[in-house]
Amino acid sequence: MTAAASADGGPALLRMRDLAKRFGGVRALRGAHLTIPSAGVVHGLIGENGSGKSTLLGILSGQLTPDSGEIVLDGQGVALSSPTRALGHGIAMVSQEMANAPHLTVAENVLMGRRLIRSRWGINWGQSRERAAAVLDRLGVNLDVDLLVRDLRPDQRQMVEIARALSMDTRILILDEPTSSLDNHEAAALFEVMHTLKRQGVSVVFVSHRLDELFAISESITVLRDGQTVAEGPLAQFTPDSVIAAMAGPRSAAASPVHAGWSARAERPAALVVEELSSPRALNRVSLSLRPGEILGLAGQLGSGRSELLECIFGSRAVSSGTITMNGEPHRPSTPRSAIRAGLAFVPPDRKGQGLVVSGSIRSNLMSVATHGKHRLATPATRAEDKVIAEMVARMRIRLHDVEDPVSTLSGGNQQKVAIGKWLASGPQVIMLDEPTRGVDVAAKAEVHALLRGAAAQGAALLISSSELSELLGLCDRIVVMVQGRVVDEADTSTNPNEETLIRRMTMTPKVT
Amino acid sequence: MLLFPEEVTTTARAQAARRLWKSSRHLVPVITLLVVIVVIFSATTPYFFTTSNLIILLTSNTALWVVAIGMTAVMVSGAVDLSTGALVAFLAILFARLLDAHLPGIAALVLTVLGGAAIGGLVNGLLIGRLHLSFLLVTLASLTAFTGFVNLWSNTQSIPVASAVTDNIAFGHLLGMNTSILIMVAALVVALFVQTRTYFGRDIYAVGGNPVAARLAGISGARTTVAVFAISGGAAALAAVVEIGRSSAASPTVDNSLPLQAIACVLLGGASIAGGSGGVGGTALGVLFLATLGNGLSLSDLSSYWQGVVTGVILVGAVLLNRVSDGGLERSLAFLRRGTASAASPDPER
Repeated sequence: MTAAASADGGPALLRMRDLAKRFGGVRALRGAHLTIPSAGVVHGLIGENGSGKSTLLGILSGQLTPDSGEIVLDGQGVALSSPTRALGHGIAMVSQEMANAPHLTVAENVLMGRRLIRSRWGINWGQSRERAAAVLDRLGVNLDVDLLVRDLRPDQRQMVEIARALSMDTRILILDEPTSSLDNHEAAALFEVMHTLKRQGVSVVFVSHRLDELFAISESITVLRDGQTVAEGPLAQFTPDSVIAAMAGPRSAAASPVHAGWSARAERPAALVVEELSSPRALNRVSLSLRPGEILGLAGQLGSGRSELLECIFGSRAVSSGTITMNGEPHRPSTPRSAIRAGLAFVPPDRKGQGLVVSGSIRSNLMSVATHGKHRLATPATRAEDKVIAEMVARMRIRLHDVEDPVSTLSGGNQQKVAIGKWLASGPQVIMLDEPTRGVDVAAKAEVHALLRGAAAQGAALLISSSELSELLGLCDRIVVMVQGRVVDEADTSTNPNEETLIRRMTMTPKVT
Repeated sequence: MLLFPEEVTTTARAQAARRLWKSSRHLVPVITLLVVIVVIFSATTPYFFTTSNLIILLTSNTALWVVAIGMTAVMVSGAVDLSTGALVAFLAILFARLLDAHLPGIAALVLTVLGGAAIGGLVNGLLIGRLHLSFLLVTLASLTAFTGFVNLWSNTQSIPVASAVTDNIAFGHLLGMNTSILIMVAALVVALFVQTRTYFGRDIYAVGGNPVAARLAGISGARTTVAVFAISGGAAALAAVVEIGRSSAASPTVDNSLPLQAIACVLLGGASIAGGSGGVGGTALGVLFLATLGNGLSLSDLSSYWQGVVTGVILVGAVLLNRVSDGGLERSLAFLRRGTASAASPDPER
């Protein structure tokens, strides 16, 4: 098990070298490496969100084509130009979002594609079922192949996907955060299956945010940061602390954001108070409070409930119990409309899918919230709008040719400024943002941050959820850490917490299941 | 600040011209096609380019024009209304029955239009906007149901209508212009105003362009959907009255090609079937194109079956031309070349 093969060019099973990939202005990968030393090992891949894991796995599974770099399989260079090619080389991926057909049976899902057994009279269902059952047996999973997939639990569906991958003579199986939707017991069952696969000579690329899992099952690991491989090798060379240090990197301690007058504002009543808020399958008795002029950060892994918390406050997700108070008044948002009327703003994480009408003009997007209370047959006051828009464009430094152009003509950073600007134009009291700088280049990011600080200085309360810890540390007055729908920690950034302590809190599996 | 006011106005004028060019660029293909067929028909058919023929060309397509304008609102919001043909027949019978009840013509007209809007908004609109049923299913169901109703109610018999109002609409003149052409102009002007100069107009584009973003911005998708289907229903009512005027009878025969032709006109006018784009200006050009094609082909000696074949082929060609002009064709060809791989690739930037 000499994973140090990565250094000396020994006969490794898979070697990905110097991979680079850009998406528009964003460099998702710049010089990433990944080496799987031999058949029958579990290789851990870890890195913060946005470090390039998904891009790297997308390249390995043939969904993305790298801009440069090489992939060597069994000592031979290969081009994985499509998922079909990758499967032909024995590389299969089980993604986070389960890709199975809910209305088909387990057998049909396992043998999806052209692998149902056919005879002269069409599909031979008896033999097909046997083949599917044999694959599940190989995994040591006991599952009726005639059940419909929609009737299965999430962990069972995942097994069906793994079985499908195996039925295609897979040598390298990629599991992208397979435990994120499983409880501890189900995760243990998955690890059993991974051990079984290892014994059968299948190598597994295992992605997880939970360090304890990674240390329990991997033989070797790769650590990514900012699109680069910053550490790799046999697990024995690492300790949890050294992995965390590699993930966080030697970034300069972010400038402490404690702005002037902060202590004076501490006296003011809270703008937003959340008490014991719960939501089915998402939030478990979450409490927090936010004062005018304050910036509160929400840290946590994907699925930790930080995005769901914002949706609940904004009325776009059902709340099962708990209370929300805004400026001393009870706030029971049933729809986004009522939340907006109460003075809330919400910049969603998916700019194109949720934040903007990209086919619409910059003008109509910027004005969409500010005018939502107007009578619909009223005529927009073009002059007044022009003035507001000119102010917004200048204040936010949106670079555009003409406000009548569609938003799709803008760069990612400028689109994000429009997505935020449309809320600022309505003068909200509480502004919630989810991933405020996702897919935004460095310069625009700094501008967005300055804009958010400006909004806070003018008295708005900001609640920011982000997967980038350096962003939260640089921007927020306080940071709340969430794990599995609960608040597990709160840190005042004036006491200078660092990324490592936050990662440690976020990667711990809570005791309760 | 304004040291050189003349300069400011010229740049403002230049900017306005640039905006007009940009916003009408998607109309270039349909305008080109229209000009091409007008030139061809004028050259080959002597009678084509005469005042009397052009008036026939317009007045025989008034119903399609009105229905297509209503369809534009529905399609920009991301839906399609298949029930229009059945609604036209149903509302024609309603109008005739209202006249039979000795209502004055104008009152019957107003009540029919309100009834059309109510049926469109409260049946189609509420089921689609509020209960989130598929617009294909709902409008197909109301097409079937109203086809049944209209035959039950009329005993499948046409009802002769003699009314000053309908005669005036079909054959009268106002300000030296055919009334039905004036109706077309008025409908277009009102629709253009709503589309470009009201918040409701913006809402339709927002809801069709991205329903999630519209909802998160506080725009009511349900209300917008109800309104666009009410517009489509009201347009069907107006079309029904126009058709009664032309034939002096209310016919229970359902013309299901009417909504399909209207959809073709909206698409010709630069709209996307997915919603969020297009507009009544383009739709009007689309109707003119289809009307000219039909008129010119029937003046030529082509058999009516060949006319159908030619129209179908030209429609596909026109919509393809539209895609070439937004670069959509390159994208679809690139997609074919790269195979299905590109469909799965995430695209975080644009």
